[in-house]
Amino acid sequence: MSGDHSPDSDEALGTRLRAELPRYTASAHLRAAIAEGAAPPRRRAAWLAPVLTAAATALVLGLVFLPLLPRLVPADPTERLVRSVVAEHTRALMWGARHPEVIPTALPWLTQESGIGLRQVFVGDDRLVFVGAEPVYLEGHRGMALHYRDGDGHLLTYIVLPIPGLPVPDRQRVQIERGTSRWRPALMHDSGFSAWVWRQGELACFLVSDMVSEADVERFKDYFVRVRVSTDPVPAN
Amino acid sequence: MASDEFSREALQHLDALYNFAMYLTRNPPEADDLVQETYLRAFRFSHRFQPGTHLRAWLFQILRNTFLTFYRLRERESALAEDGVPTWDVPMFHDAPEESSGAVEAHTDLERALQRLPEAFRTVLLLAEVEGMALEDVARVLACPVGTVKSRIFRAKERLRGLLRDYAKQ
Repeated sequence: MSGDHSPDSDEALGTRLRAELPRYTASAHLRAAIAEGAAPPRRRAAWLAPVLTAAATALVLGLVFLPLLPRLVPADPTERLVRSVVAEHTRALMWGARHPEVIPTALPWLTQESGIGLRQVFVGDDRLVFVGAEPVYLEGHRGMALHYRDGDGHLLTYIVLPIPGLPVPDRQRVQIERGTSRWRPALMHDSGFSAWVWRQGELACFLVSDMVSEADVERFKDYFVRVRVSTDPVPAN
Repeated sequence: MASDEFSREALQHLDALYNFAMYLTRNPPEADDLVQETYLRAFRFSHRFQPGTHLRAWLFQILRNTFLTFYRLRERESALAEDGVPTWDVPMFHDAPEESSGAVEAHTDLERALQRLPEAFRTVLLLAEVEGMALEDVARVLACPVGTVKSRIFRAKERLRGLLRDYAKQ
């Protein structure tokens, strides 16, 4: 075969594959995310044992004062964002519902303030009622929050932030199928709240609620589908 | 091999792995996830890598295994030919809305034809012809004998030629 140079030969086909197929290169976001994960693990040193002993003693003492200590900020960027998103949700639980915005009138203002446009938006249905919308500022990112309430009084907060390439933890992904459609968002938990986390183009999306029990999670999946299929956020710029 | 040295060397293959992931998934976000997961696994199991062996082949092997695990191809491909290659011409995974919204379209007959090949055929061509990998390394990635790799390359090219002829007639 190696001597055959006809256009149909194995060699010619190999050359065509090398020359004509476009090559795709990894984005800077992906490169940075992987490089971040490549941080070398710490090695055990000779001084580790005494330090661990001292740390164990300190831990026992620390446990006594644990309720008085400030909460630690997670190192993982996604967990950190989920914590902020949940904090925003709890703020909305306490204050947001008292000042509802009507979405058709609020949209241009919301886009201007949040930097997020909505080509299509879920404005509620027989199960979920739209409560309000507002710009948010979380972890240094401007974004948008939409609030809904279901028939049992559960508040849902849908938040969109312009964070391209946000890592969605694979172990927490849940496959959700509806008809021929399929999604794999991650189900994360923080402070007794559940949050769906997924990427939509260059945006990171979150849907938070207090639905954490097994039965509630099934309903929460249904709410995810309702919001996901009817909402199409895009960066406004 | 020191961990930072391992990381540095592994990152040199990022673009090649991403290119391979794109041809497997045809979807940039999924390719991102696949490559990210590949590196996570490689870093986690770097102590298992034997210095002096081919890191590139090892990374490609992890990526392909991760891809197969994600899409549960092994369960779906119950009917396999004698060399482990499915005999039909359908795409390896169905397009879901999330995928199709960001899916990369094939622009040339060659891309379209390659996309229609079963994953095992597509993979041997990408590794052996596009990446220029030695047959022994391709065999390691696919976890099969070198003879099987040669046979798959031959059959993949046969099928690719057939598809290209069909496109040319249209």
